[in-house]
Amino acid sequence: MTAPAAPVTRPRATPDPSASPAPVRRRSKPSLHGTLSKVIIALIVIVQVYPLAWLFITSLRTEHDFATGDPFALPKAVTFDNYARAFETGNLGMNILNSFIVTMGANLLIVLLGMMAAYALQVLGFRFSKFVRILFLIGIIVPVQIALVPLFIDYSSINLLDTYPSMIIPLAGFALPMSIYLFSSFFEYIPRETYEAASLDGAGPYRIFGLITLPLSVNTVVTVVLVNSIFIWNDFIFANTFVLSEELKTIPLGLQNYIGAMGKTDWTATFAAVCVTITPLLLVFLVLNKAMIQGLESGATKG
Amino acid sequence: MLPNRSRLSVLVFLLPPLLLYGVAVLFPILQSLFLSFFSWNGISDMQFVGLANYVRMLTGDDIFWRSFFNALGYLAICLVLQLGGALLVASLLTSMRRGRELIKTLYLLPAVISTVAIAFLFVRIYSLEPVGLLNQLLHWIGLGALERPWLSDINSVLAAVSAPEGWRFTGLYMLIIYAALLSVPQELEEAARLDGASRWQLFTKIRFPHIMPVWITTTIMATTYGLRGFDIPYLMTNGGPGQSSELLTTYMYKTAFTSTDFGYASTIAVFIVVECLVAVGLILFMLKRKADA
Repeated sequence: MTAPAAPVTRPRATPDPSASPAPVRRRSKPSLHGTLSKVIIALIVIVQVYPLAWLFITSLRTEHDFATGDPFALPKAVTFDNYARAFETGNLGMNILNSFIVTMGANLLIVLLGMMAAYALQVLGFRFSKFVRILFLIGIIVPVQIALVPLFIDYSSINLLDTYPSMIIPLAGFALPMSIYLFSSFFEYIPRETYEAASLDGAGPYRIFGLITLPLSVNTVVTVVLVNSIFIWNDFIFANTFVLSEELKTIPLGLQNYIGAMGKTDWTATFAAVCVTITPLLLVFLVLNKAMIQGLESGATKG
Repeated sequence: MLPNRSRLSVLVFLLPPLLLYGVAVLFPILQSLFLSFFSWNGISDMQFVGLANYVRMLTGDDIFWRSFFNALGYLAICLVLQLGGALLVASLLTSMRRGRELIKTLYLLPAVISTVAIAFLFVRIYSLEPVGLLNQLLHWIGLGALERPWLSDINSVLAAVSAPEGWRFTGLYMLIIYAALLSVPQELEEAARLDGASRWQLFTKIRFPHIMPVWITTTIMATTYGLRGFDIPYLMTNGGPGQSSELLTTYMYKTAFTSTDFGYASTIAVFIVVECLVAVGLILFMLKRKADA
């Protein structure tokens, strides 16, 4: 997570081991080690994924089946009533819309401001750039909890509590350092000569930003947006602290409504609601995960 | 530096991001530090108390210490699951030929899901009545004696709230470590293999030293995230039963927003920041000493 989304076309520093010809011996006779690895990996993947599959299966069970049956068994009958109840109980649609607004707003700020800061630090350069970099590094290390009490007090004094910006501002602020880092590392790859040529043609810093840096950064933007969206879409702590009214609740808060009084919970409907709310992000992730995985990996190899 | 940039253009690009960052991150840090020297419930006048909050925290507050040690336990469990699991899977994955992309995607899946959903899910997995996945599994493999309501048993609750956080992010760290392992030069491994190095030697003498810089980054990431862990314990048990799964973060949150003791809550928040900085410093120091030796 430390780094730049490399342009997709940049070749890997090292060849993929599977691409290099393997010793013939290993191909003809599967070794004990190989089989054992596969079994261990399979077991670990089951532990990682089965709970999610179980979540989905449970959302299709009847309440009676859920309360009395064996949790590992397949449902005796598949029902979609839970989904209907999930939509009746909460404000799922509104929660999803709110999450969408907050995620979009924060991402817009993160991408635009992150790119601007990285441009100033990496391309323009200035005397105190090292100091500014250190300032931004602080945001990666300090936990978000430090901001809760001060922001709560500040927001209440300027009547910003219970608004979209009350969530968007801290989410964007705390995500900014990592994005600046990602953009800066990417900007290093844009050859100096490109800028110099543009300068000779009379382009100033603004036009260079708009005509060269911005269009070249599309891949990095995808990585930044995807990684941040996961955290913002799922944010609980800021939303829980700064938002009180039902109309502004995002998905994580909306889900809490399903817990009934006295801890009596309609579990099958809750699980149906969970399935509905994780679907948008899951779809985006499954479609774009190659880009994200590649971004994370190319970052990691450079340390 | 760009040839014909101006001082104004630097400011145009730098000021907006600094402004947002200052408002959301830098200023609140200073404000917390400031508030930690006051006693304030948010309504009556603020009262300067000097270091009294710090003295109270360090010498007179059992719950604080309880939460501190719980947080260390939580961190330890997260680190073992995240870094240990990540390293194991990443190493095994390098020797696989097919299906690696699929496994990477599946393994990363839990990281996409919100903590509220994960908390719900694990409440059910741990449940005893009706029987959840964990207790049913124990029953099947003949360890029925271990069956228990994991979240209301004070001996198991801390481990039970820590595990989901570990479970959730293993995939992320695995990806990073896996990518680092791929960058280990093949010639080096080949040469060692010809010299008769065992798999274990290959791993400890070549692979692991080679990925050390990435390992440090991952350890720091996992540690700072572990120390700020909040959502899952807060949602699953709210620190209970008693204080047996209270973390510093949940304690701070309750002090601020349930007891509305803003001054003391800020003191705990400052402690959490210091704790993160010390942890990062310690990791860098220990690894540097090891590298020098």
